[in-house]
Amino acid sequence: MSEPLLEIEDLRVRFRSDEGVVSPVNGVSFQVHEGETVAVVGESGSGKSMTSLSILGLVPAPGEVYDGSIRLQGEDLTKMKRSQMRKLRGNEISMIFQEPMTSLNPVFTIGNQMIEVIRLHQKLDKTESIQQAVTMLDLVGIPEPERVLKQFPHQLSGGMRQRVMIAMALSCNPKLLIADEPTTALDVTIQAQILNLMKELKDELNTGVILITHDLGVVAEVADRVVVMYGGEVVEEATVDEIFNHPVHPYTKGLLASVPKMTGPVEELGAIKGSVPTPSEMPTGCKFHPRCPIATDLCKQVHPQLEETTPQHFKRCFHTEGGVKHDEHERSTIS
Amino acid sequence: MTNTSEAPSADVLMEVKGLKKHFQVKKGYFKKEISNVKAVDGVDVTIYEGETLGIVGESGCGKSTTGEMLLGLMKPTEGSVTFMGKDLTAMNKKELREMRKDIQVIFQDPFASLNPRMTVEELIGEPLKIHTSKTKKEIRNEVVELLEVVGLNQEQLKRYPHEFSGGQRQRIGIARALALKPKLIICDEPVSALDVSIQAQILNLLKKLQREFNLTLVFIAHGLPAVRNISDRIAVMYLGKIVEITDRDQLFAGALHPYTEALLKSIPVDHPSLRSNYQPLEGDLPNPANPPSGCAFHTRCPFAQEICREKAPSLEEHRENHHAACHYPLYK
Ligand SMILES: Nc1ncnc2c1ncn2[C@@H]1O[C@H](COP(=O)(O)OP(=O)(O)OP(=O)(O)O)[C@@H](O)[C@H]1O
Ligand SMILES: Nc1ncnc2c1ncn2[C@@H]1O[C@H](COP(=O)(O)OP(=O)(O)OP(=O)(O)O)[C@@H](O)[C@H]1O
Ligand code: SF4
Ligand SMILES: [Mg+2]
Ligand SMILES: [Mg+2]
Repeated sequence: MSEPLLEIEDLRVRFRSDEGVVSPVNGVSFQVHEGETVAVVGESGSGKSMTSLSILGLVPAPGEVYDGSIRLQGEDLTKMKRSQMRKLRGNEISMIFQEPMTSLNPVFTIGNQMIEVIRLHQKLDKTESIQQAVTMLDLVGIPEPERVLKQFPHQLSGGMRQRVMIAMALSCNPKLLIADEPTTALDVTIQAQILNLMKELKDELNTGVILITHDLGVVAEVADRVVVMYGGEVVEEATVDEIFNHPVHPYTKGLLASVPKMTGPVEELGAIKGSVPTPSEMPTGCKFHPRCPIATDLCKQVHPQLEETTPQHFKRCFHTEGGVKHDEHERSTIS
Repeated sequence: MTNTSEAPSADVLMEVKGLKKHFQVKKGYFKKEISNVKAVDGVDVTIYEGETLGIVGESGCGKSTTGEMLLGLMKPTEGSVTFMGKDLTAMNKKELREMRKDIQVIFQDPFASLNPRMTVEELIGEPLKIHTSKTKKEIRNEVVELLEVVGLNQEQLKRYPHEFSGGQRQRIGIARALALKPKLIICDEPVSALDVSIQAQILNLLKKLQREFNLTLVFIAHGLPAVRNISDRIAVMYLGKIVEITDRDQLFAGALHPYTEALLKSIPVDHPSLRSNYQPLEGDLPNPANPPSGCAFHTRCPFAQEICREKAPSLEEHRENHHAACHYPLYK
């Protein structure tokens, strides 16, 4: 495989407070290649957003990245100065968030905001910037881009605002795009438009994408590779087909079985018992052991490491083998 | 209820006819202009005893407003809601209060719907205290039983809502709704705010309780997979109206309304091997203050003809127990 675009290694984030230290990200490693969409999935509080904020150098105080490295084309972002990071954001790395309204300024027109971003990062004059803005809005499927440039954020629907955000994020031709729950706040027919757009853009541009989501349907729809997080750790990583066909980790299996399906027979859902622990009540040993159906004493005492089971398939569990076909009913019967 | 012919023979629990709710909203800079938001605009539906009726649709289509009127919490602008032979819309306060024992609600946000200053015992016991003449001890015993039913335990009696996780709080909300042994429970997005693994727990719990207590459920949600998992019949709403209603499997096998079909195809796939080149529906949801003429879906419908712009289609039975409101229903 070619050199990765982004290489995260053993990333650790901590928050210190009077009550002690919590580590929402605890040794996260994964890579993103050019043109590849890597989905980071996990339930609330698993450290997905904190991981993406680390890449952007935006972990909120008093939080800090205290260990590990994040290399973008070889350069370690954790060692960069603030001013360098600021230049990088919106240039090499762009981001889109769940609620576009909070990232768009309500008092400026879409045009003002887009042109500012474009001029800040590219050496274009005003007319060229407007031209670039129109091109980008057109690319993300906004009808009448010239008219939309004169509008304010509140005059657009949620789906349109998310398109504008994507246009802005892509306007500087970033190498890496981080999308944190980009469709969670949208209606399903609008979500379908945005996911479709992300697929089209993937074919057109060669951007590496980190897609953060808790929705396994979104993963099945657009991801190339999947990183499953639990309690601030990566518990499994593999290609999207591997994750859905041969999940190995008990958490991944449980998560897949929890999701109500649109096809096949309607069955009782395979719920995972208990709930996600908060960082302050994280258990010792394997963090999943209190909820795990196959946990043993070993799991309670010893913390399992992430290991490669079959090529490009990683898991963090003592008691499962890689590559073993799991017993879920055959998918191929569904057309 | 997989058999299509079964539904009509079952007993009718609630009959909703011509239900409308229009909100007068002031708008414009000087708030002088008044616009009429047609949140619910003519809903007819029959709810049978012991079934789960799913109501699905995108944001703002009028699901919650419909739910509130079924609960008797909101007066309709027009139409009637007949529950066990009596019209809710014609009831006075006292009659409504009496009737509320039989119709309970579970909300999306267990945080907002539970009083933070009350213990679990008080929260679940409250309806019993208000509506029955049971003693303190009897109430406590019932609360302990209810906790067990929803998968909590009696060590948690004296705890406050903030000491529980989201899923546990939803269990408390469910126990509270069950306390008076209601006939009907309206669930408004009961799992939408929960994590995937907890959603599954709550969906399984609701199904189990329904079987055990022969409950009738109205399950309101925008998430179609969850609605499919729990419902016997499904009603699809668009802009204040039911556009299609039929048995669950029938809806998935042969949707008649183009909006239903688009909705089904918009849901992300179950498995990467099912990815398709489906071109999503274009455009946005229209504003209910200014709905399109004729069929409200005509602005986005790939099959719209002249008549769709002019005349609103009525909800008609195109197949046995399969109603749709469309001039050109699919697969006909
Ligand atoms: N300022 C803070 N101080 C202490 N802990 C924090 C702080 N901000 C976040 N955390 C903790 O970090 C953990 C990971 O949070 P993060 O936002 O990365 O989760 P997430 O996976 O993105 O979840 P969600 O799906 O809810 O967005 C959470 O448990 C949260 O409580
Ligand atoms: N009290 C009110 N005053 C004015 N308009 C209202 C009021 N309540 C609801 N509406 C409007 O009525 C329409 C239907 O709202 P409703 O809450 O029933 O939708 P919903 O289908 O439950 O949506 P969601 O999926 O977002 O919960 C919306 O356009 C909403 O803005
Ligand atoms: S290590 Fe043990 S507790 Fe953790 S997932 Fe594997 S079997 Fe379960
Ligand atoms: Mg997050
Ligand atoms: Mg609602």
